[in-house]
Amino acid sequence: MKEKSVINITDGAAIPLKKDPGLFSAWRIAFFGSLSVLAYLLLSRPKPYVDILKFLPDGILVTFQVTFCSIFFALFLGLITGIGRISRNRLINAIASTYVEVVRGIPLLVQLFYIYYALGRFVRVPDIVAAVIAMSFCYGAYMGEVFRAGIESIDKGQMEAARSLGFNPSQSMFYVILPQAWRTILPPVGNEFIALLKDTSLVSILAVADLLRRGREFASETFTYFETYTLIALIYLLITLILSKLVSIMEERLRYYERH
Amino acid sequence: MSATEPVTEPIIRMERVTKNFGTLQALREISLHVHPGEKVVIIGPSGSGKSTLLRSINRLERIDSGHIFVDGQDITDIRNDINKIRMEVGMVFQSFNLFPHKTALQNLTLAPMKLRKIPRAEAEANGLRLLRKVGIEDKASVYPSRLSGGQQQRVAIARALAMNPKIMLFDEPTSALDPEMIGEVLDVMVTLAREGMTMVVVTHEMGFAREVADRVVFMDQGEILEDRPPQVLFQQPSHPRTQKFLSQIL
Repeated sequence: MKEKSVINITDGAAIPLKKDPGLFSAWRIAFFGSLSVLAYLLLSRPKPYVDILKFLPDGILVTFQVTFCSIFFALFLGLITGIGRISRNRLINAIASTYVEVVRGIPLLVQLFYIYYALGRFVRVPDIVAAVIAMSFCYGAYMGEVFRAGIESIDKGQMEAARSLGFNPSQSMFYVILPQAWRTILPPVGNEFIALLKDTSLVSILAVADLLRRGREFASETFTYFETYTLIALIYLLITLILSKLVSIMEERLRYYERH
Repeated sequence: MSATEPVTEPIIRMERVTKNFGTLQALREISLHVHPGEKVVIIGPSGSGKSTLLRSINRLERIDSGHIFVDGQDITDIRNDINKIRMEVGMVFQSFNLFPHKTALQNLTLAPMKLRKIPRAEAEANGLRLLRKVGIEDKASVYPSRLSGGQQQRVAIARALAMNPKIMLFDEPTSALDPEMIGEVLDVMVTLAREGMTMVVVTHEMGFAREVADRVVFMDQGEILEDRPPQVLFQQPSHPRTQKFLSQIL
């Protein structure tokens, strides 16, 4: 019978939560609650709300663009930083550690302004590019800590075994350490992804037409500030709720695999 | 130096090797030669430096002074590619260190495919042959977590052999095993020794040393105190510390 449960996993069968909190879980209340409010507003008062909603898809697209581009570069930067943080080379280690310290000590909004205007002194890049650079720079440091923890969670005998076979340090990392570390890394990366998506709302200050910016544009023309921000809050909430559900499903699956 | 060296040249040559861990002298001016095909067993109390000595041969442990020549190349010389040298030196660890995300067969094929650029089919055929040799061909597609300790260590030996090394190093290969599994691992090692592999083995298995070793090296406090054929060392240990150690362990 053991064999059967193994087949179930490879078939990708739904894996039940260990403890189902039932109908009244916080997530369900928040998700279905906000969905109901959204539906109610659109149906009962289509005049401002449907108009607002029609105005926003461009902004949602930009928010996702900034999020995906930033997470891509942040992951790349984070991998380098994480490896740098555990490097025995003192110079590399110092650079990586200083980067993390500096980024963690400066508010993201200040970093955004700083990189935007510092960059502007040398090159003229589109606002959205400056925004992605700034977000990546900041989140690269956080990701660096995630990668470092993930790599350090792997027994050091693994690196020794790989090296003893003749793999060089980066081959060992790529073929042996990282494929094992991703299980530890993936859930916190998911959470950082959600945090990053929310933080992209800050780029609206840099004239990037993201969800929040589009809302402000609409509101300032029609003076429907309350209605617009209500809708924007609901949209952010629904997106992050869906994403956090995906992350927790992923975590649950990883835990399931680990037990088997 | 001549380009072609006689066969009798030692394949491992350690010259006045010193290694310190802080104030602890792990290796004090160690000199040791191992010739091709020789089986050298290193014994000694814990903390005597025997594992450090073994690990220094493939530079998992960097030495502070002295020289180590492996297959004619000075591994302390940074101009020599240590990764190339390590491909010729198989290592078996006390804690197996199999790759848990790979099946038994994949553990064997990873390094040959990536480092020796051997095609998958050939690497797998060779891997299966080695798994058969260590007696667990039927576990080829099983992940290490589903194998017993003895099976894992046999896969680890096969993994090292898959690179077709000239030398095999064993760092207490049976110390982490349940008693009933020690035999199956030692059997594999005995077979390997009979086939003429050059082996350096750190172990507490005196039976194995007696049966297989050409020389038994006794270490204590970072020094080699005796280096003799097993019959001589076990029958008439000359150094008092060897006598004391043997009386405790036998």
